[in-house]
Amino acid sequence: MKFEWFVALRYLLSRRKQSFISIISIISIAGVGLGVATVILVIAVLDGVEHGIKERFLANEAHVILRLIDNGFYSNYENKIEAIEKVEGVVAASPIVYSQLAVFREGSKQIEDVILIKGIVPEVEDKVTSFTKFVNGSYDFQNDDLIKEARFLNDDITITGGIVLGSRLAQRLIVNEGDVLRLVVNMTEDRFNPGAFIPLIRNFVVIGFYESELTVYDNQTAFIDLETAQKLYQVDGQINFILIRLEDAELAPEMGEQIIAATEFAILEAPTTTTWLETHAALFQALKLEKIATVIIEALIILVAAFNIASTLIMTVMEKTRDVGMLRTLGASRRQVMGIFMIKGSIIGMLGTLAGTALGLYICWLLSTNVMRPSPWIANACIGILSCSVIGIAYRRIDTVSVVFIIFAIIFSINMFITPFLVLSSTMRTVLIILGVIALLIFWIVVLIKSWQKLSSIWKPTFLALGLLAIGFIFFCYIKPISLEELGLSAIYQMNQLPIKVNWFFVCFINMLSFAICWLATIYPAWQASNLKPIEALQYE
Amino acid sequence: METLIRIDNLHKSFYDGDTELKVLKGVNLDVHQAEVLAIMGASGVGKSTLLHIIGTLDRPTEGNIFYEDEDVTTFSERELTRFRNDAIGFVFQFHQLLPEFTALENVAMSGLIRNTRKVADENGNRYSSSKAYEKAEILLESVGLSERLGHFPSQLSGGERQRVAIARALINQPKVVLADEPTGNIDDKTSGAVLDVLQDINERLKQTFIIVTHDSRLSERANRTVHLVDGKIADE
Repeated sequence: MKFEWFVALRYLLSRRKQSFISIISIISIAGVGLGVATVILVIAVLDGVEHGIKERFLANEAHVILRLIDNGFYSNYENKIEAIEKVEGVVAASPIVYSQLAVFREGSKQIEDVILIKGIVPEVEDKVTSFTKFVNGSYDFQNDDLIKEARFLNDDITITGGIVLGSRLAQRLIVNEGDVLRLVVNMTEDRFNPGAFIPLIRNFVVIGFYESELTVYDNQTAFIDLETAQKLYQVDGQINFILIRLEDAELAPEMGEQIIAATEFAILEAPTTTTWLETHAALFQALKLEKIATVIIEALIILVAAFNIASTLIMTVMEKTRDVGMLRTLGASRRQVMGIFMIKGSIIGMLGTLAGTALGLYICWLLSTNVMRPSPWIANACIGILSCSVIGIAYRRIDTVSVVFIIFAIIFSINMFITPFLVLSSTMRTVLIILGVIALLIFWIVVLIKSWQKLSSIWKPTFLALGLLAIGFIFFCYIKPISLEELGLSAIYQMNQLPIKVNWFFVCFINMLSFAICWLATIYPAWQASNLKPIEALQYE
Repeated sequence: METLIRIDNLHKSFYDGDTELKVLKGVNLDVHQAEVLAIMGASGVGKSTLLHIIGTLDRPTEGNIFYEDEDVTTFSERELTRFRNDAIGFVFQFHQLLPEFTALENVAMSGLIRNTRKVADENGNRYSSSKAYEKAEILLESVGLSERLGHFPSQLSGGERQRVAIARALINQPKVVLADEPTGNIDDKTSGAVLDVLQDINERLKQTFIIVTHDSRLSERANRTVHLVDGKIADE
């Protein structure tokens, strides 16, 4: 073994006696590890949320919308759609008549709401926005039984056809299937009374509900037949929107030009495309900003851990000043002395980084895996037995550690034994559990610091392994996927459970970054050690 | 007798702000091959400083030190480091053993450092760690500590530690072993044993020793004793 490694490993592993690993090294490693784990976890949650939201949005959102800049109608759309579908990367395109309407309820004269209306061909729309998947009821706009029934029941009015309403919109309007909605299509000037306008009203039967769980759609959109819409707006054979689905949604911004070129619009018609990213620009920009801010904060966390390593090393250098003096006297070069301390620090950094990665990925896995967890009581029992045995083996009398142990045992018990019987909000419960886990961690650290040196070299790795297993098991018992439904956030985030997405590229990046920062942190203390003058170092008290 | 080290008009001053403190004021001294030279003097007279300069741990303000006609005061920092590793063994008043390492490892340390420089022995073979440990074991046996190889310094007595320190100084077959009050920190009975070891090594291995001390019993055992008075070697 190389000389520097030999000395560095010994310094890392022990004080005075040949033992397993020194407590100060463990604390430094834990510092780095917690930093790295936090970074991986937080980024996985943010990525998960972003990915989840995107997925939800993209399920029923056109990737690209083609329209004229004034939203005007145009004919000959069949050819354009054919041309668009030939563009590489395009899956399907669907013609739409898109407009707004005012709604009356049956028998009422008051405007209830203003809604967005989409005239579609269900079969074609299906290929672009999976329309039929989200419809609860029927989407046969012309011949549904409900329409016939309504025509039979309301023989005094003309029923134009069927309509599919956004589910939340329907709730707001308090309508059921089979109810008739009165829609104001547009206003025409009264021929006999110039200056006055007569609303053009059409009656539609509600035949189904659109339930995508995306508030934007469920809250304000209704769907009717494309032909009916064209008649309504007197634009036979014309449409104003083409919705397009791509193979890769992320490529939407780059595809716009190609699609416009394929459609061969005249320049004066000013065709333009809108991508899903632009439609929800505010949201995705907010997510992006949040992520950048988080990455910066996370980098700071790792920096803190690096300071931890630096201070550990500076302490070691101070403690080892006389040793350094002796090594230099024995003929060790400055480079070798520097190497010893840099190796020591780098090993701490590397172990911490790896441990942190493992911990972070484990928690990510726990947060995304829905399996039955054992009762926390079993975990509590495990903790109790393990803690008592450490105390028992390291100590055989009452002292500070035992007192600390009792205090934390009480806190932990209150937490775990009393909380189930209390009526608490889930936030409160989570806070209490987190407090309990923190208490437990502090307890373990105290146990480690106080009793570590008293354990023999066989017990140390044993307890380290058992401790890690126990912590893993406790995590397994307590850390479950976070239900957004229980927290009442499912409507806001459009998801039932907090999504987790591990970005492996980022994990590698964070590993390298963390290691690099730790390595940099070792330079100064090591340099300081190598600069000690042998004589002064030998006389250092 | 052959001269091993020639010290020529050695001066050393320390500066405390603007005040110059002259410690050595022109030391001239020849050290012969295979002798035990004791340097005696009142405390604070600069004995240790002289020893540190001879051992290249410190540089003189003026003057030269020749090891077999090689002037070490002209060496670079890097050359000095190598020189210390190859040619000089140190024994200090406080044993200065590395607490994390066993007696055997402490003794072998200097040999391990030498191995990293990839120097070859007289037969052209590279040193290896196992060879350093072998040699360390032999040396520890020769100072009477064959039972203590795996013990840490904290598990050894004062005299035992000092004997480990002596064994450590010998591992690379140095030209000279410099000892600074080797018995200064241990009781009379134990120091007798330590001195026996020194004398035995001197006689068996023809090892040159320079010992700084104010212990008269130690100087009695030396081949030659010089006195450092007022920064100079007093007439013998």
